[in-house]
Formats: sequence, structure tokens, C-alpha cells
Amino acid sequence: MKITRRDFLKTTALTSLYFAGFAAPGYTNSGTKKNLVVIMLRGGMDGLCAIPIKGDKNFEKLRNKINLDRTLSLSSDFDLHPALKTFKSLWDQNQSAAVHATNIPYTGRSHFDGQNLMESGGKIPYQEKTGWLGRGMKIAGLTGNGLALALPMPLLIRGVPMNNNYFPVGHKLPYPSTLKIIQEAYKQYDEKLLSENLEIIQTRELSNTTSDESWVLASNAANELSKTDGPRVAVFEVDGFDTHAAQGGTNGAHADCLSDYDNIVRSLKSSMTKEAFDNTLILTLTEFGRTIKQNSGNGTEHGYGSAVLMAGGLVKKAQVHADWPGLKRKELFEGRDLNSTIDARSIYASAMSTVFDLDFKRIQKDVFWGENLQNLSDKLFKV
Amino acid sequence: MKNFFRKVAFGIGPNEEVPSDPLNWALSQINEIPDLSWQGKIFSEKELRKHYRNYVYNDRKVLRKKYKDDKTLYKTYKDLLRHETGQKFWESLEISIRHNEGINSQNPVLAKLWMFWGNFFAISEKDMLAYYSTGPYQREIIRPNLNQTFEKMVYDATTSWAMIHHLDNSESAGPKSVTASQEWRRRKKRPATINENHARELLELHTVSPKAGYTQEDVIQLAYIMTGWQQRWSKQKLETGNVWFNSEYHQPGKKNVLGKEYKSGKKSLAVVIKDLVNHPNCRDFVADRLCKFLITDEPTKQMKQPIIDAFKKSDGFLPEIHKAVIKVAFENNNKFKKFQTPENWFIQVAKIGDLQWPPSPKVMDSYELGTKPSRKQRSPERLLRNLGHHPYRAKQPNGWPDHSDEWISPELLIRRLVYAKLSHSFSKIENNNNEYYENIVQKNFDNPGKIMKYLNQKNRTIEKQTLLFNHPEFLKS
Repeated sequence: MKITRRDFLKTTALTSLYFAGFAAPGYTNSGTKKNLVVIMLRGGMDGLCAIPIKGDKNFEKLRNKINLDRTLSLSSDFDLHPALKTFKSLWDQNQSAAVHATNIPYTGRSHFDGQNLMESGGKIPYQEKTGWLGRGMKIAGLTGNGLALALPMPLLIRGVPMNNNYFPVGHKLPYPSTLKIIQEAYKQYDEKLLSENLEIIQTRELSNTTSDESWVLASNAANELSKTDGPRVAVFEVDGFDTHAAQGGTNGAHADCLSDYDNIVRSLKSSMTKEAFDNTLILTLTEFGRTIKQNSGNGTEHGYGSAVLMAGGLVKKAQVHADWPGLKRKELFEGRDLNSTIDARSIYASAMSTVFDLDFKRIQKDVFWGENLQNLSDKLFKV
Repeated sequence: MKNFFRKVAFGIGPNEEVPSDPLNWALSQINEIPDLSWQGKIFSEKELRKHYRNYVYNDRKVLRKKYKDDKTLYKTYKDLLRHETGQKFWESLEISIRHNEGINSQNPVLAKLWMFWGNFFAISEKDMLAYYSTGPYQREIIRPNLNQTFEKMVYDATTSWAMIHHLDNSESAGPKSVTASQEWRRRKKRPATINENHARELLELHTVSPKAGYTQEDVIQLAYIMTGWQQRWSKQKLETGNVWFNSEYHQPGKKNVLGKEYKSGKKSLAVVIKDLVNHPNCRDFVADRLCKFLITDEPTKQMKQPIIDAFKKSDGFLPEIHKAVIKVAFENNNKFKKFQTPENWFIQVAKIGDLQWPPSPKVMDSYELGTKPSRKQRSPERLLRNLGHHPYRAKQPNGWPDHSDEWISPELLIRRLVYAKLSHSFSKIENNNNEYYENIVQKNFDNPGKIMKYLNQKNRTIEKQTLLFNHPEFLKS
């Protein structure tokens, strides 16, 4: 595919994918192309279900109905949910890691406000009309080569003009000869933007009728991300983490969602070239964690602290990075939730600094309004 | 000139006469609010809210407990509950009613303005609102206000159940209110705080806009005035009770918004809204949004001025504001063409293409509560979702954008191409001939010869349809 200077988006009921930030002309000649993939986990991902703490009797008691009966071991302190198989195999190769007891600074427990803030990076819901990733791309000079997504474009990557998208419509396009007539009319009326977009539609390699399984989407994403002139940013969405009931343990509803995440990572790993995967960072993003205590429906309620899962070759080493707040009642947030001791925005700012080769302070200032964030680049990523 | 019929409405259908006086044709449609032209069943907001209640109550209080150990059974029974409460049907019915106003009513100009205001006071995708509430909110709160004052529309939208729910005002409690000092709150360790969402959007999106230069303190003060306006909560109805003023949540004392003082109590909301709608920035903002919707992405001062003047002179009487913008649209008709948003475009396709759209009242009325709606009965909701422009599912409280750039992307353009082609399957057999295209092109374009020449590059009607509905003059009007 010729450089389309566009991004793309794909979606299903469960999973959506957005691409953004194509490399600027000339970029490919200098240095390696690095990619940032963000997987938004909507509904509130339970960090303690994905990465439970080892040997905390209090925790086991509070979750006696939804404890995992089988786990994968990560470290002396933490286990891993068995659904996260790919994450574990990457862990064994030092290509995955996590930050625990972290979240965006939002404690209001509303999905809608929380999801708005996880994407905008701000503190007041709906106040910002752009996303932290969009603003980051903008200062990285990916403007104009970014993409507008309109089947609703996620707020996360708003802030770069000229966005673009891909979303399989499920029907075939009209015949090329018909499109040609329309293209001529656009030209005749000097409709540059329409004309340019129609050109992209006719030349790009993306199918309009493809399957919408999340692994297929991820595989498409992987191919595009592997191209030196392809996009540098891809965004997925996985729904369904809001497990108020039947959250279950090893095979419950939360396990299914974690599996969706793991399948995306697996597909990215298997379909990307080695060089591309080695230069990629895959991060999760969620609005909040979930309560420590199970509810009467064997689910969990909206909480606060969660975990951020990280994968890809730019991960520094296999580790669970945390400033562990503890799970005793007085250590919990409002007596019920895992506390957040690391502002998750520090992770995202550090990731953008690493992938976009930008000074951390600049991101802190221009993307996050100079708020008090830590530079974690050295600790978490290969710089 | 004929693009005016698409600019302020949805074009001229094959069996309609082309009005000889387009301006008066448009102006005459906006004084009265006639009954909806939909001939099938229409359900009240209250009835639909009962379904909302039944869904959330039974999910939260019954199913989650009953099937706590079995995610498959939980999912199965939740799906049954969806159908018992009509969850997959109401949206499509509401969209049918909405589109029917644009296509088959005597006042398509009013229908287009209705859509504008529905998006101005947008209810974005949140909780179960799109399924049960946003359609009836637009019918019962927005539409009857189209011949009232802007002030009344703001007040009614602000105190509507859907908006209160949408912007979390029930969660907002004055820190010095009665409820704030109650024991149970202390025990829960959750201090009573205000939720600023609703107050901020009332300023930013619904009245004066950020250009008014209000501060965060103004937002907080307005939120204080709004404390107490909430859904009447009960164990049986949960959050679906009517909106009322709960004085226990109200922040006592005087408040100050944009330099003006307001007393404590229920009545201050109406007073502050009156002041906000009379703020010069509010008039400018409304004029700007209307021009952006109908005329151009970049309205000029000259365009806005007559609308601002009409607002001022009529004390915000909406028919006068509407008349002003329509006159401006008429005067600028040839100079400025507006790229039509996907839903507007599709309604024009349906009207001019004489499609069997929306599904008929007979089809929709055959739906039985408790059953899964048929493909046809669900088609309006699905189609708009796939077009990328579902009016009840904007992502943010600021609604769908009006700016063309937001709607020109490969993926959205693909949908125009694909749906223009697919629209042929909704066509009537009697229209499957060249005379039909000559008729509609004659009625809707000033240069029918040129357009027909373009269409005649293809022989099959399915191709003609694809060409016509993607012609630059059709996309912009």
C-alpha cells in the first residue's frame, strides 16, 4: 500500500481498533519506527483479578467466592490470571510487565466520567475536548499525518487534525467504474478533501467485508504497524469489564474479557515482524479498578486503583512495578478499594516520551498541563 | 436555488410540487407544532421510563443475585429481560417517528430544526438512555418547545429526567446541605460534594458558551444553585422516579454567578436561566450554532447579526429566531453550501429516492413486547449506527459535530457509497426507470441537464442511484 497518510479504525460489538499517526515523510530514513498501541479496557478492569497478590489472607477472605483456583506465577509477590497466557509467555521473554495499584486520578466511580477522563487525561469530566494521545501525537509532529476517526472517533486520539479511520461496513463498494465517475465529479467541483478520501478508499488494502473477530482486527493492525510507512499508533477498545455479577474466578465473566485482551496481544505478536514488535509498546487503559470485596452477586462494584498491563519489545523487563499500598481496611481507598499510589498518567507520559522520542517534561507540560507526574521511562521502558 | 429545499429540509419528493415561493414555504412551517405525522403507536416518556425501571431493577436486584455463579445463565436471562422491556425496539421506533417527520410530514423544515435542537441539548450515550429515554425526551421536551422561548426550552431541558440523569445532577449535594451533615454519609466516609457536570454544560453547551468568560467559581456557584434538582429515588423505582427539588440536598445561602447574586432555594434555577439566556454571548452562541448547522462551517458576523437581533427583539421566541436563520440561509443559498451530516443525508436519500423508509407503522406496530424485534423492526437503529451518526448515541454531551471535516473521512465516505447503493433495495418497483430520475432531478437541481448527463453514464438504476446520492451537489446543499 502506498503511503495513505491515514489511520484506521475497525470495530465489532466488543472490540474496536483505531490507527493513527503515520510516519512523517522522510522519517523512515532516520532511526527506527516505534509504535504505541493502547488497548482501552472499558467498564473498569479489576487489577486484582488480572494480577492477584500472593498470600494475603484478608484478600482471600473478602473474595472467597471469586478467588482464582488456578493462577500463573509472576513473582514472589504476585500471580497472574490464567487467561493471560500470551502475557505470561512474553513475561518469560522479558517482554511484558505491569504497574499495579495505579489509576488515573479519578475517584468518582462513574463509567462515563471515568472513561472521559482516561481518554482526555484531565481531571474534570467533559472539560477537555481532546485526548492525551492526540495531544502527544501533535507535539510529536504527527499532525496532518494523523487521522480523524469518525465512526465515533475515540476522544483519546482527538487533537490531531486530519484524522482517518477504518471500520468494516459489511458491504461491498460500488463498482470501480462507478467510483471513477464519482471521482471525476469531485474533481470537476474542486472537492479536494472528498477527492483525496475517495482516492484512499480505492487504493487501500483494507477489506470492507472482513471478519470482525478481535484477533483478525489485531492481525490487520499488526500488518499496518509493521510497515515502515504505516501508522505509529493503534487504539483498541475491549468492552465488558463491568462485572457486577458472575465475575467468577478462573472462568468467569472477567476472565472472558481478559482473554479478549490477551488474544489481541497474541495476534499482534504473531503478525508483527520481529523488528516491529521489538519497537512496540502495548499498554492498557481503564477508568477504574473494582472493589476488593465481592458483592452479593459474586461480582464487584466500581472501585479505584487497578493495574496497567504492558507488553512489547520496548518493555524494559518483566516486573510488577508498584508502591504497594496494602489491603488492610485502613489502607484501602474509602475503606473499600485498592488505592492508587502511582498516577497512571505518569506511565502514559513516559510511554509517549519513549515512543515518540520526546522530552518527558515537554509532554508533562504540553499534554498534561504541567501536572505533577513522575518520569518512569527509565524504570519501565527501554530508552 | 433548489438546493434550498435540502438546506433547510430534506428536498422534494417525486410526488410533491416544487414550491413556487421557497422562502415562504419554509417560513410558514415553523409557527405551529402540529401532531407528529407518524400513524402508528407512540409511547409516552413515562411509559418508556417504566421499561427502563423494569430493566435496571430486575437486572440489579434480581438477576445478578439469582445467577451469581453462572455467567451463561445470567447472560441468557438478561437477554430475556431486554426483550421483556422492549430494549431492542424503542430506539428504532423513535427513529422511525423522527425520520417520518422529515420525509412524510407537511413541515420538514420544522423537523430539521427539531433535529438541530435535539443535538444542541444532546443526551449522549450513557446508561440505558438511548434505549428508553432519548427519543421520548426529544419528542416531549424538545419538540413542543419549538414555538416557545429559548428560555423555556433551556429550563425544560435542564429539569427533564433524561438530562438530570445524563449529567449526574442527582449526585450533586451541597457541602453545607442537610444531607451533607447526616450520619450515614459520615459512616460511608463519602462526604457530600457537588457534581459540576450539569452546571458546566448548562453554561458551556446550553447557554452562554465559554466565550462568556465564566470562571470555575461561576461553575461551582451554578452547581450550588442546581443542587437538589434530582430524580426522586425509591427502593422500587430506583433512579427512575420523577425529577423534583430535594431541599435536603440544596446548598443553603446566597450564590453568585457571573457577578449576579441568587437566593437560596428552588426558584433560583429559573432566575439564573433567565439571566443566562439574556446574556449577549448566549444570543451569539445560538446564532453561531444555527448558522453552522444550516449554512456554513464558518459563519460570518453578517450572517449572525439578524439572528441575534431577532433573538433580542422577540425575547428569545424560537419561531422568530428560526425565521431569521432561514432568511439568512435563503440569502446565502448559492454562496454557501453545507456538507450534510450522514443522518441528514440519508433522510434526503429516503425522501428524494422515494424509499420504503422508515419501516411502516404497520411493521412497527406488529412488534410484541417480550419478543425479539425482527430485522426490519431494528433496521433504523442499526442503519444509523453503521452510518456513524446515531442521533441518540453521540459520544459526548456536546452532541454530534456540525463541522464538515468531522464527517469527511474514508470510512464515512465508504458509508455514503455503500448506502447509496443499498438504498436501491428499498426502492419501489414503479420507480425503476429513467423517467423517475428525470423527475426527481428536475425537482431538486437547478441544472438537471448536467446531472442527468452524469447519471446517464450508467444504465442500471442501482448505479444511477449510487451516482446521484454521491454527487457533490447532493452531498452539499
